[in-house]
Amino acid sequence: DVLPGSLRRLYYQVLNFGMIVSSALMIWKGLMVVTGSESPIVVVLSGSMEPAFHRGDLLFLTNRIEDPIRVGEIVVFRIEGREIPIVHRVLKIHEKQNGDIKFLTKGDNNAVDDRGLYKRGQHWLEKKDVVGRICALYWNSDYLNE
Amino acid sequence: MPKSLNSLWFLLQWKIDDKPVKIDKWDGSAVKNSLDDSAKKVLLEKYKYVENFRLIDGRLMICTISCFFAMVALVWDYLHPFPESKPVLAFCVVSYFVMMGILTIYTSYKEKSIFLVAHRKDPAGMDPDDVWQLSSSLKRFDDKYTLKLTFISGKTKQQREAEFTKSIAKFFDNNGTLVMEAYEPEVSRLHDSLATERKIK
Repeated sequence: DVLPGSLRRLYYQVLNFGMIVSSALMIWKGLMVVTGSESPIVVVLSGSMEPAFHRGDLLFLTNRIEDPIRVGEIVVFRIEGREIPIVHRVLKIHEKQNGDIKFLTKGDNNAVDDRGLYKRGQHWLEKKDVVGRICALYWNSDYLNE
Repeated sequence: MPKSLNSLWFLLQWKIDDKPVKIDKWDGSAVKNSLDDSAKKVLLEKYKYVENFRLIDGRLMICTISCFFAMVALVWDYLHPFPESKPVLAFCVVSYFVMMGILTIYTSYKEKSIFLVAHRKDPAGMDPDDVWQLSSSLKRFDDKYTLKLTFISGKTKQQREAEFTKSIAKFFDNNGTLVMEAYEPEVSRLHDSLATERKIK
């Protein structure tokens, strides 16, 4: 036998812990593959989309290429270089013949559009910034009685 | 009272070497682990059998491979951000869950509830080893602990087993300390009932 009993027991415990972490990780990555979105579950962080969404709501996303982005639809996007996804509505779209689009977003509850949030020099969002579209949502119970 | 010199010596050793094991008597899994470990001690220290790790190693191997797939997925996704890593991720995730399935089958059919596999080397060195297996069960919220000892003869490959089911109250005192003087004779009795049959043959 290669390992002494105590070392084996330690490895067994380390592995048990590793299995728990790996299972969570694999479920998350699995969701990423199945939905096509790099962040399949997102939490609403601000009140910028009230009364549709409130802080703490859970959003389940998909990112199918076929879903067209149209004015009035809600998209979840990420600004280049920033970690946090934003959930807002599409306000304006410029579309090329080949399907490339540039679009502008705004939160329902905000007074102005999102240009102030974009990167310096950036005026439009593109398809590559989209994290996904909402497929299902779970309302935060704190706000359900309003 | 201990029945033989062997038992007496074992109990003395146990008192000297081990701190009394005190566990939460209401925690089912701690109770079962304590009884399992003590039964292991009896077989390994009193009867001087050698523990065989093949069963546990099988499980360790399956878990290691599973974690390896998870690691690969993690690192690959970090190096090649999401959309490009999709095929590799899909492969790793599927492989991981396949390994989970294999682990479940292994635990249910091969390992069952066996927690010790020990060998008795033939003193003459000629015949293959006799194998002793310990398995146990303790239902949730139940006080009845079942310990099963299986003997597989190295020579004839015959399998014999013996078991007892007793309330855990018989082995633990009010504070949750295991009373080895009450437990060791039970384990030894199981062992001797299987060992003596062999001598008759």
